[in-house]
Amino acid sequence: MGMNTLTAPLPLSLRLDAQVARRPAPGHLSVMSSPSRPSRMPTPDELSAWIRAVADPGDRAAFAALFRHFAPRIKAFLMRGGADAALAEELAQEAMVNVWRKAASFDPARAQASTWVFTIARNLRIDYARRGLDGAREQSAGDAADELTDELADAAPTPPEQLAAGQIEHGVREALGKLPEDQALLLRLSFYEEQPHADIAKALSIPLGTVKSRIRRAMEQLRRALGHLQP
Amino acid sequence: MNTHHPDQLLLLSQAAGRLDAGASLVLATHIEMCPGCRAQMRELEALGGVLLDQIEPVELAAGAFSRTLERIDAAASFAPRPPARVKATRPDLPAGLQWPHSLDGCSISPWHRIGPDMRWSRVDLPQQRDARVFLLRMGAGRMLAAHTHSGREVTQVLYGAFEDGRAAWHAGDFDEADETIHHRPQVTADGECICLVALQGPLRFDGLLARALGAWMGI
Ligand SMILES: [Zn+2]
Repeated sequence: MGMNTLTAPLPLSLRLDAQVARRPAPGHLSVMSSPSRPSRMPTPDELSAWIRAVADPGDRAAFAALFRHFAPRIKAFLMRGGADAALAEELAQEAMVNVWRKAASFDPARAQASTWVFTIARNLRIDYARRGLDGAREQSAGDAADELTDELADAAPTPPEQLAAGQIEHGVREALGKLPEDQALLLRLSFYEEQPHADIAKALSIPLGTVKSRIRRAMEQLRRALGHLQP
Repeated sequence: MNTHHPDQLLLLSQAAGRLDAGASLVLATHIEMCPGCRAQMRELEALGGVLLDQIEPVELAAGAFSRTLERIDAAASFAPRPPARVKATRPDLPAGLQWPHSLDGCSISPWHRIGPDMRWSRVDLPQQRDARVFLLRMGAGRMLAAHTHSGREVTQVLYGAFEDGRAAWHAGDFDEADETIHHRPQVTADGECICLVALQGPLRFDGLLARALGAWMGI
């Protein structure tokens, strides 16, 4: 299959209209046709509870709920990063397989559900970029075994710096909401795009040379909104 | 408390997964040694989580969920592979210095002598064989030949300290240099220094002899 080819990035106009945060589209996955379920954003606590239910007792309904929330977002994230639809579909499924496999090592005190799933999707994107599709699959199978040993090794009490995962994610969400739209856009593009600096220069029609200082300012603004003192 | 930290943009690239394997490894080593950068990395990864929640979703093809379940069932019939951790042979370190966990998956060559009181060890990354990552170990007062860079050079000081006219770097400190920086790092007089270094492109040494040595080391 010619799936490990990355397409040229989408025209910018197409990508930019997809950048505004919205509630999930009402369309459900065919497999989870539970019409009674409202299509609202699940809360972080719900997401955490679903991941724990997947870990034990291997709850497939909880996994379906996670799949409905995260799989289309992971697919979108990978497409924004330059993958074509078929590859993004393939890797999104692989990411969800990893969510299942690693559910037992999920620790909400360390990272909230969305953060945890983000790192899974990001790591898969890294592995794919370095080693191709088979390499990424192999790597994620190995990682799952690693996570298990890590978990055994980490039985020690959590250090204080790790106590506030919920507060961090909540704070970041609020802080991001307070940023002017152009600064929030800079941060979004930094995470999503394959060539963030070049893409940002194009999207905002600014010279490449000023992109870095603009991102830096957006990051300072975010940290200020988070309550850090930064000059 | 160390004073030289990675630039904000480098931390952001790390959180977004946009750094090459070598730079990413050196940055991970710094983060392991630096509580402040570790806290920032947690915030940036949380930002990644929030941005994942906020992205406009793209629906999967029909049947994607059942195909994913099939994959999970197929994988469950295999016993998980033992973790592929290469820790076996490691060159010696000064007493009291531990290998950072970030290097757990890497194989590290023995120390090779490259000059009086100067040694070098190659770090092989399983995920990117062609990464230019190495350890440099030099005695007190030793100086690396003057050079500039082609692309980014990132350095994490694991032990001791060096200076290069710009500033001094101590254990735990991080440095980023590029083609605009021409320097001649010298270990401080207090004792030996060990650094973990990742290069994007080869170093450009001024002297012929150093250039030949660099070519031999593959840096
Ligand atoms: Zn730091």
